[in-house]
Amino acid sequence: MAEVRLKGIRKSFGGLEVIKGIDLDIKDGEFCVFVGPSGCGKSTLLRIIAGLETSTSGELEIGGVEVSDRDPSQRGIAMVFQSYALYPHLSVRDNIGFGLSLARMPKAEIARIVEATAATLQLTPYLDRKPKALSGGQRQRVAIGRSIVRNPQVFLFDEPLSNLDAALRGQMRIEITDLHAKLGVTMIYVTHDQVEAMTMADKIVVLNAGAIEQVGSPMDLYNHPATPFVAGFIGSPRMNLYTGDVARAMGCQTYGIRPEHLTLSDSGGTWAGTVRHVEHLGADAIVHLTVPVLGDLVARTTGDTALAPGAQVWASPVAGKEFRY
Amino acid sequence: MTPRSMNRHQRNSGLIATAVAMALFITPFLYIFLMAVRTKQEAALFLFTWPAKWQFWANLVDVIQARNYMLMLAYFNSTIITVGAVALLIIFGAMVGYVLQRRQSGWNKVIYGLVLAGLIVPPAVVPTIWVLQGLGLFKTIHGMVLIQVAYGLAFSILLYRSFIGTIPRDLDEAARIDGATPWQIFFRVILPLLKPVTVTLIVVQSIAIFNDFTNPLYYLPGKENVTVQLTLFNFQTQFQSQFNLLFMNILLVTIPPLIVFVFFNRQIVAGMTAGGVKG
Repeated sequence: MAEVRLKGIRKSFGGLEVIKGIDLDIKDGEFCVFVGPSGCGKSTLLRIIAGLETSTSGELEIGGVEVSDRDPSQRGIAMVFQSYALYPHLSVRDNIGFGLSLARMPKAEIARIVEATAATLQLTPYLDRKPKALSGGQRQRVAIGRSIVRNPQVFLFDEPLSNLDAALRGQMRIEITDLHAKLGVTMIYVTHDQVEAMTMADKIVVLNAGAIEQVGSPMDLYNHPATPFVAGFIGSPRMNLYTGDVARAMGCQTYGIRPEHLTLSDSGGTWAGTVRHVEHLGADAIVHLTVPVLGDLVARTTGDTALAPGAQVWASPVAGKEFRY
Repeated sequence: MTPRSMNRHQRNSGLIATAVAMALFITPFLYIFLMAVRTKQEAALFLFTWPAKWQFWANLVDVIQARNYMLMLAYFNSTIITVGAVALLIIFGAMVGYVLQRRQSGWNKVIYGLVLAGLIVPPAVVPTIWVLQGLGLFKTIHGMVLIQVAYGLAFSILLYRSFIGTIPRDLDEAARIDGATPWQIFFRVILPLLKPVTVTLIVVQSIAIFNDFTNPLYYLPGKENVTVQLTLFNFQTQFQSQFNLLFMNILLVTIPPLIVFVFFNRQIVAGMTAGGVKG
């Protein structure tokens, strides 16, 4: 039993309210991702759950127990930091075993647990190295190992992959997802990268300016974004969004259409435009159009497209995939 | 730069720089040494010449035995004062620096102001003696330790505070989540990371305190409380000066700080640059 329940969590720094009343239920064993632009309060919210920040008001339950007044170490949580926060003066072995040695566990017992953890994370050859002699991915694993040995009810990840290069990030995404499947514990993961959110989450919480915009499964948010903000945030390349006169002409405040839900044709369609730029990604291509009635329009098409800058083209939305707010 | 990659110009200018440095640093030391091995009459002439008669050993024994082995007592006292004061400076400097850097409160500015005042306001001798007498610490070794701590603490705090600023706060938080108490965070995570600046402080402060002349002169009178620099008075009085013995004494009291400096030299340089590099 390790569900996390937030009720009316608020946080102010001085006169500035950065968390504006968060109500959220995270089920036992769920992989929940907080996503949002920088400064939306997602990290602060995670730090409130961890106990590194105190909420100004509201209730926080972990595993059915009110923990707002408890120390971070008494909440049954473990946290992986963006900077990994490994102790530079300690070996990998001592880094992983640090919490256990603080708990005055017998040395033999600590050694056994550390060895076992290192084995599952493929860190055994590096146990006697210092963190500075490790690569980014290895440091990340040590940080995860340090969390695992605490045997937490809830894992907290604060943008753990943002310091890694793209290839390693993809690999660590899989590793963390595997870890979640293996341990079956609740995980809360903060990121600003919607790809990480889409690929890893059971449940995505989209935050904007200190409040929840929408909660749902990745495909839920993709297919049924509740607000223009969510519509623009989830999906890559981002949805084409139009406000003002253009939207009013289509009978709404904000009109949205995803790049992948546009069909391009050179004979006719809804909007006529000029190709400004084509990004070839291999399997598909992103076409940037200048459309007189809309402004800029981004469309996704197949990778073998013959479109080149300057070409005249017609774009049409796929029926039923338009969003009107 | 490897010697092979140097061109002639670089090598010549290097040699010149080394020669100038040698002249500046070695000449006084050589002069002290040559004076220390002379006879009393020859030393009184203050010549920078090779001694006509060497009496190194006799002078050494004279200096050590002077006034009932006062130099030995002075070594002992100075060592006690230096070790005690430096230990306290490091523990308290690091602790105060840590709290000032990590805990944000309205008091921080006040405390920081007081620390700066400790660096700026010159110490006043007579009121200090008055306070020491009131506390029963005047003419005591531990009183002298506290004086040295008081004079050096502001500098230590500032040095530690800025160095701790380069240690990521994430480390404190990770340790907190691992279940460390504030004391454990300080002693098991922060203090070990302060090693470079600690070594720098040990060297700078221990040399300053060991070589201190004026403070022991004011605050630590009494034959039984003598410190190394004050033993220089043994050989210079109103009516008679034994310069050969005086210089031998200088030679002897210079050696311990020199050993400390040579021993820690490599780490001092590391400590001075370590703050600028992200860990």
